[in-house]
Amino acid sequence: MKKMVVALLATLMIALVAVPGFSQAKLRILFMPGVADPFYFTMEKGVKAAADKAGAELVVAEYPKAWGPENQIPILQATYARGKFDLLLIAPTSTDALKAPLKAIYDKGTEIITVDTFIGDGDYSKASDYSFPLSYIGSDNVLGGKQMAEQLAKMVGEKGKVFIEATNPDASSVQGRVKGFTAGVTEFPNMMLAGVEWCQDIQQKAQEQVLTALQINKDIVGIFGLNVFSAQGATQAVINAGLGGAVKMCLWDATLDNIANLKKGNADLVLAQKPGEMGTLGVEWGVKFLKDKKNVKVPKKVIPGFMFFTAQNVNDANMQQYIYQ
Amino acid sequence: MSDKTASVPAAGQRGKSLASTLGKSWVLIFLLLETVYFCFRSEGFANPNSLQIMLFYGVLVFLLATAELFVIVTGGIDLSVGYVLGFASIISIKVIEKLTGMGLDPGLALLLGVAATLVVGLIPGLINGWLVAYLKVPPFIATFAMVGVCHGISELIINGVYAMGLPKLASDIGSGHMLYIAPGGALSLFQKPVVERGVSVLEIVPNIVVVTAVVVAIFAFLLSRTKFGRHVYAIGGNMDAAERAGIPVKRRILGVYATSSFLASLAGVVYAFMYVSGKADAGASLLLDSIAAVVIGGASLFGGSGTVGRTMVGALIIAVLDLGLRMSGTPTFDKYILVGVILILAVIMERYMQERA
Repeated sequence: MKKMVVALLATLMIALVAVPGFSQAKLRILFMPGVADPFYFTMEKGVKAAADKAGAELVVAEYPKAWGPENQIPILQATYARGKFDLLLIAPTSTDALKAPLKAIYDKGTEIITVDTFIGDGDYSKASDYSFPLSYIGSDNVLGGKQMAEQLAKMVGEKGKVFIEATNPDASSVQGRVKGFTAGVTEFPNMMLAGVEWCQDIQQKAQEQVLTALQINKDIVGIFGLNVFSAQGATQAVINAGLGGAVKMCLWDATLDNIANLKKGNADLVLAQKPGEMGTLGVEWGVKFLKDKKNVKVPKKVIPGFMFFTAQNVNDANMQQYIYQ
Repeated sequence: MSDKTASVPAAGQRGKSLASTLGKSWVLIFLLLETVYFCFRSEGFANPNSLQIMLFYGVLVFLLATAELFVIVTGGIDLSVGYVLGFASIISIKVIEKLTGMGLDPGLALLLGVAATLVVGLIPGLINGWLVAYLKVPPFIATFAMVGVCHGISELIINGVYAMGLPKLASDIGSGHMLYIAPGGALSLFQKPVVERGVSVLEIVPNIVVVTAVVVAIFAFLLSRTKFGRHVYAIGGNMDAAERAGIPVKRRILGVYATSSFLASLAGVVYAFMYVSGKADAGASLLLDSIAAVVIGGASLFGGSGTVGRTMVGALIIAVLDLGLRMSGTPTFDKYILVGVILILAVIMERYMQERA
């Protein structure tokens, strides 16, 4: 038995080292999404279109089933081990936990662009242990959060309690939106933030948390649903509580579900980011840099901006391109 | 004529012996075939670096499976290991954060934080063991209740979010390697040498894989070579007979559940160092894999059998599957199906072997 074990393990080792690697020629890009949701599906389309246009080979890593470094990092490492990559486009799921794995990838010679979220404080222009990515391409989440608060204030007559249904506190985008919205609310003295809950990308949890918040604070007049899962869960909770249309809903991310709720009158405002454009810009800047490293200077921050869907413009032909498909 | 008649049973014996050997070693053969398959199927899999990645991300299952094995050998089960892992990941970060906040050197804070976590991490196991051994609560119920308790306490500590705030040293240890070989052959222990970007440094064995290997070896020794281990097998084989033989059954069961909890807590600390964060459900999805590893490794859920070595082979089968599927671009949903199928296969094979014996 022992001899057999030794023989089998020896064969296993030989098999691991003997099979030749795969050759490559054109630029190789790896896209590592944050979680399986319509936002990143839309981003992948932008990435793919730009990679095709640039004649680069694109590898899309498996979509993590849940948000978080423990889900994303193993997938990233396994996919990165498939061969040499020239460019990595990634939405880091943690501002801290991704620093070390991304630095190791950078040290191996791969250029990195973070899309949608960033590592550290996202300022790659100053020297730090996380300033190695080429660029951050994503929304100005603080500004978006602040604008949501301002819009919500208008809807509720600048008074009353509002609530944030958020997702993962570890993600830079989430931190920015909460910060912006909170700052926005404080500009209205008669408005008060009743609380912030974190659903960690579990829609069911978002629904339960908002229902509980509505029970505790029966005078909540508006809710900010901070991402795909938070927004969808929060809206469902308000509908279930029979408050659809009465409690003003500002939702982040233009999923089909959120747009449908806007059309039905269950939501009042939907912010659409531009995930496809983020993906396209990421590939375009990355490829441009890789082809001429000496002369191309990539901006450390690229902000594609966002659009607001309201009941008035939701059916406009030119707005349909911003819905996540 | 006499020669011919003598050779027939000899050939039959050889055939039986081969079948028996193959039957006993089926898990190893399966692991080998699986590895060879992925070497050809998955780009980049046939690389020593992939082996390191596989071991690195397998450590949590290796530790939890070892924990689970001790309990399963007694005929019990510990459903709480995943949430004890999450609980420990949070406790370790909170303690270390507090200690560094008090101005303690990060290295010392990490050491004290880990030690404190491993002590606190014994509590769920001691409660489980006390319930099972002294109050005769079925292991399934006792440890299932502990799932809720650990989950709830963990969420209360972190208010339903994450624990964060470990010093950078934790990340350096968690993602670091034991040995680095720079171009030119210069060796460096634990500290990655500074080289020009793009120059590859050979990294050999992640720190946490070394720690896990040492811990698993110690517990393998404990189970196979000590009086405690012999008592554990005896209790799982026949508890009444073990009692009549003078084995302190209750104390041993208490010790087994404490061991399980200790290993799950260590896995929690490892998780915290790997991901510089802690959360309540960090190990929730690892319970199935850890029990599957034990069963695939040949342990009986009725107790009395199973070894750490075979359990590790079971865990490796799952780890190879995980990495191989990921590297081939196949959704890991397939993994759940395949682990289920392998689990059933393991039970059938063990039953077949028992009938032949």
